[in-house]
Amino acid sequence: MVSPEMQKLAEERAARMKAANELKEPDRVPFSGLGGDIIAAYAGISSYEYNFDFEKNRQAIIKWNTDFPADSPQGGVGGLDNLSLSVAFVDFPDLANSIFMLNGPMNDVLDMKFARFPGRQLDEYSSPQFIGGKNMEPEEYDELIADPQKFAYEKILPRISNNLQDMSSPKALATMARLGMVKAQQAAELMKTGQALAELGFPSGGGFGFGFAPLDYIGDHLRDLPNVVLDIRKYPDKVKAATRSILEVLFKLAMQNQHADTIMFPLHLNEYLSPKLYNEFYWPTLKEFILRLAENGKKSSLFCEGWHDPHLETFLELPAGWGRAMFEKTDVRKAKKILQGHTVIQGGIDVGVVISGTPAKIDEYMKALLGDMMPGGGYICGPNVGNLPRETPIENVAAVYEAIEKYGKY
Amino acid sequence: MREQLLKSFVDMDEQEAVKIARELVETDGGAVAVLDTCKEAMEEVGRLFEAGEYFLSELIAAGDMFNQIMEFTLPKLQGEEVASLGTMVLGTVQGDVHNIGKDIFKVMAEASGINVIDIGIDVPHEKFVEAIKEHKPELVGMCCLITLGVDSMKRTIEVIKEAGLRDDIKIIIGGGRVSQAVMEHVGADAWADDAARGVRLSKELLGKE
Repeated sequence: MVSPEMQKLAEERAARMKAANELKEPDRVPFSGLGGDIIAAYAGISSYEYNFDFEKNRQAIIKWNTDFPADSPQGGVGGLDNLSLSVAFVDFPDLANSIFMLNGPMNDVLDMKFARFPGRQLDEYSSPQFIGGKNMEPEEYDELIADPQKFAYEKILPRISNNLQDMSSPKALATMARLGMVKAQQAAELMKTGQALAELGFPSGGGFGFGFAPLDYIGDHLRDLPNVVLDIRKYPDKVKAATRSILEVLFKLAMQNQHADTIMFPLHLNEYLSPKLYNEFYWPTLKEFILRLAENGKKSSLFCEGWHDPHLETFLELPAGWGRAMFEKTDVRKAKKILQGHTVIQGGIDVGVVISGTPAKIDEYMKALLGDMMPGGGYICGPNVGNLPRETPIENVAAVYEAIEKYGKY
Repeated sequence: MREQLLKSFVDMDEQEAVKIARELVETDGGAVAVLDTCKEAMEEVGRLFEAGEYFLSELIAAGDMFNQIMEFTLPKLQGEEVASLGTMVLGTVQGDVHNIGKDIFKVMAEASGINVIDIGIDVPHEKFVEAIKEHKPELVGMCCLITLGVDSMKRTIEVIKEAGLRDDIKIIIGGGRVSQAVMEHVGADAWADDAARGVRLSKELLGKE
């Protein structure tokens, strides 16, 4: 049961986020929270246990969010982008939407070549890691362009999963059936975790889904990052045509998640591309994706990996209030100068400072950050990347949370 | 011809650069000229990157061009004295299995004349120590993409210290999560979050710039 007190807290947190998302000033700066590998370490368990034992995972998440409560809950079951599988099954929305994040037990069933999990392919204290890989030859662009879904099903799945090498084999059928069994067990566990978080005063409802820039799908899942960068020069027309075909499939996928009011996009190739290449090969289909989502009442939230500085002004091509941009290396102060009143900005806390600083230095850092970023609203404070390593000094984490209360009031 | 090669390489005209290099390499002393010109071109591409005119897309394309040209140039250089700026042991630290950044840096570092010993990804601390003992490098490069790598770098440097080897080498860290603060935290000598800066600082650490 959620107590009235916790219900009220949940409403306050939701209102704070909502105000910032509407580019306004809330009562206090919304804080997305710190988390990552440190959640398992704080509970005294390995990353392996956190990723594979859902009861221990839940207890770790409860402990962390009780002691370090932010405006959105931290922790989850650790997932890697599994987009090819979702693309292959895009015509089956219930399935496609439940499998695009690959967690440890799912990977035990699928045995994906791009995935590395702690206690399996990695040391039990390591983080889950996505390593990509080249799964398509340049001669295959025409097949991809003609039908991305068919191409994923027939060509990519056999190449990326050790258990789906022959899609008509009993082994493949058993793998998909087992995947369904694992997902059903996990759904029950995740419901329990969700209930526990609701009892801690975190808002439920208003879920999020995932979207991907079409060129990132080619880079992450089909050709590998360096190859797609070379393909742009060698086969520009084919790459461009492929992004258009992929957009249709990815948009369909994003729209299938009816409960999602926000679609999150992790951007990868943004940092790799010059403005010229970005504007020709990356941005047009991403922009269209965001605009189509907006027409359908959904906001977008972009995690701009690496340096996004040369592309900041492209956001101004979108209507004000389109959504949120989170920055890794780009200075949020610089982004604010360009995007204030137009785009919600998230980030600002350099995890390097949290890992290596002292509470006094962090207090000073946070005071300066909030002083610069809060005026005018439309700002969500948070880390520049979502993962604090296990060894992060806990007093440094506490210093961040204390600073939010100390300096974050409007 | 050297000037044309330099220009087409720096302008990212791959077909033209490879064509000229193929012609030049067949002339007397051509292989050395191709090598020197491509090195010069890579250095200029790195400079343009640091100036904000070029991006990772150009570094990758330049690396690809360099490798293509070296494939037919290096066999013709056998027996020639090729100067080396020094030796670097390079690896992605324990716990991190990413290689893209390391590989982009490696091509540029080799093109600049550094002899790179690549010891791979997810490299155990002790393997760095063994490689230092075996290859006696002046420089050690440690890479990481994920935040976990930060403490892994710290531990690797501690293990190198415990082995009594820290004073013999300079250490540069690289990757998406490194910064001045991280460099101080782990006890390295330099940091770079892009390959061009990494090569420039490596050369400085080798006393060559």
